[in-house]
Amino acid sequence: MTRRILLVFAALVIVAIGLAFYALHLRRKVAREEQLAAQQQMAIATPANGPSTPVTLYVASDNNGALTKTEINAVLPVERSERDRSILRALLELYLRPQTSHPIGAGADIRDVYVMGDDTAIVDTNSAFADAHPSGVLAEELTVASIVTTLNANDTRISKLKILVNGQERETLAGHADLRRFYLASNVGQATKDTP
Amino acid sequence: MPLFRRTSRRYLVVLAVAAAVATAFVQRHPVVHAQPSEASQLTVYSPQTTYSVPVLDQNGQPYVGLVELLEPLGTVEARPDGKKYKLRYTPPGGKPREAQFTEGKDKGKLAGNGYKLPGNFILQNGRGYIPLAVVPDVMLRLATLEVEYHPASRRLFAGNPPERFTLDLRKDTTSRLFISFPAAVNPSISTEAGHVRFTFRREPVIPAGADSVKFSDPLITGATFSEHGGMAELDVLGTAPLMANFADGGKTIIVAAAPAPPPPVAQAPEPSTQSPSNAPAPAPPPQRPSTPRFLVLIDPAHGGTDLGAAITPSLAEKDIVLALARRVQRELANRGIAAGLLRNSDVALSLDQRAVAVNAARPALYVALHAANTGRGVHVFTSLLPAANLSRQDFLPWDTAQSAFIDLSGSVAGSVAAELDARKMPYTTLVAPLRPLNNVAAPAIAVEIAPATDKVEEIASASYEEQVAQSIAAGIAAVRGKLPEVRP
Repeated sequence: MTRRILLVFAALVIVAIGLAFYALHLRRKVAREEQLAAQQQMAIATPANGPSTPVTLYVASDNNGALTKTEINAVLPVERSERDRSILRALLELYLRPQTSHPIGAGADIRDVYVMGDDTAIVDTNSAFADAHPSGVLAEELTVASIVTTLNANDTRISKLKILVNGQERETLAGHADLRRFYLASNVGQATKDTP
Repeated sequence: MPLFRRTSRRYLVVLAVAAAVATAFVQRHPVVHAQPSEASQLTVYSPQTTYSVPVLDQNGQPYVGLVELLEPLGTVEARPDGKKYKLRYTPPGGKPREAQFTEGKDKGKLAGNGYKLPGNFILQNGRGYIPLAVVPDVMLRLATLEVEYHPASRRLFAGNPPERFTLDLRKDTTSRLFISFPAAVNPSISTEAGHVRFTFRREPVIPAGADSVKFSDPLITGATFSEHGGMAELDVLGTAPLMANFADGGKTIIVAAAPAPPPPVAQAPEPSTQSPSNAPAPAPPPQRPSTPRFLVLIDPAHGGTDLGAAITPSLAEKDIVLALARRVQRELANRGIAAGLLRNSDVALSLDQRAVAVNAARPALYVALHAANTGRGVHVFTSLLPAANLSRQDFLPWDTAQSAFIDLSGSVAGSVAAELDARKMPYTTLVAPLRPLNNVAAPAIAVEIAPATDKVEEIASASYEEQVAQSIAAGIAAVRGKLPEVRP
């Protein structure tokens, strides 16, 4: 009887260990798929066909704590939310380059942009955007300011913006910048020195 | 059956081995409780300052952090290197002395001599811990300070001996107990029926005579002194309600009978159109107006499990800002400005807790300190909120309380920036969406230090922090006249 219990117990332990390994495998698989999907979406964000549109990016620099106005040409989707998302992705893409003036976490991406009531944008970022973001008041403030200012420069009707992480509200970006609030473009304009 | 017995015995052997391995693992990787209770602290009274050091329990033996112990007294440079831990302590105006220990070993070096600890040295997250029992000896050898230690209450008097107070019961028209101290004191006072209790958290006081004194007096019957949890308490016993008054600039406390309550005022009848009442309205109880004072509250960000930014793998933001906060406090004191720290040890506080604590303290100025390895030099921030024409006397909205003080906050930030500029230090002034700045109902700035050069480690160097601290303190002193003093 006792031997049977011990055997059942041993079998259960083996099953539990097996399930743990399977869960780990699934987690890695999901992470890989998310990364792949993000890469595919990045590719979608800059379609090769269609008319090229001038886009204004306010690019942050950690060295001087300023945003630099940069003009690029990009092929953008017609739909407003998709268009806003593509613009912000173009901004993040600059920050993900090896020689960037304002590094952010690898894999950072914009999942969606929701436009509400014509003047309000909800920018939904992925986990990597916040989890891997360098911690610091200046670093976080510049990221927020460049997103708000860039979106307002290209979609001038957007005057209010809130940033979500993985669809959820978060207290701070990486320990400092307040993500619970709505940002007014008119306020954020004063947040950084604007170098031409 | 024999097979079963053999098998079950094997299982038991395997289980026993596993348990032994697990126990050995736990022994080799001891868990230091990071959140000590309020009572588990060592209070150090030194000529420079009074501070608390968390006492951590390790297998029933109390330990304290070396950096936390020595940093308020001088300049500390700690260098964990694998299992080895080197620390250099330099007292103000003195010569540096070194300590060297190895994780898991009880032998090390202290000020050039071999030294044996009563327990193994602990190294966790780059922080070194020594048994509490050797703290007096370490203070003597490293900080070269004469030490008196009260182990039961965990009060350590370093540099100066404890201040002894005297009790003098005087019987004039009524009995009064004069408690005289060598220096001004500021205890918290609680009164209960037949008791008035003084709690000294920051004063290095002990009685000049016995701990317990009895008086043959019909009103004040005795006084009992006790020490516990890094604090001291004096309990004065009476047969009637007692009250305490300060005299001699806070050096003397006089305990006497509380005045009898005023006779009950006849309640004014309800106003009536037929017979208007001539009874006087009850006067409000007399209130002693508190004196306005200029207090700067310094908030070293993060703490406890919230490490903040990882400046280097072994250098956390929470430690850098605590050291900087203490320097700023000293520099302000040198300029005659009272300053308090929102946290003076490695404890975690939420953003809301910080805001609540600041607003309850009613400071003249709030200064949040941060550190980062991005950017260059010093970043001085004010709140991103727009200025609002709100009365500072009214209730203010929690999320935008800072709006009413933006102009004053900007003046302070500008003044600190001017001092940084005068010292030729790289700096940036900005507004930032930073909590709890927005919730603070007082002039408020945040200062973030980043390395001035490519050498990230420089951020924790004593000379760099000293320059930043001096700039902040000088900037605040320069605008002190513009900032209103506040009644506590």
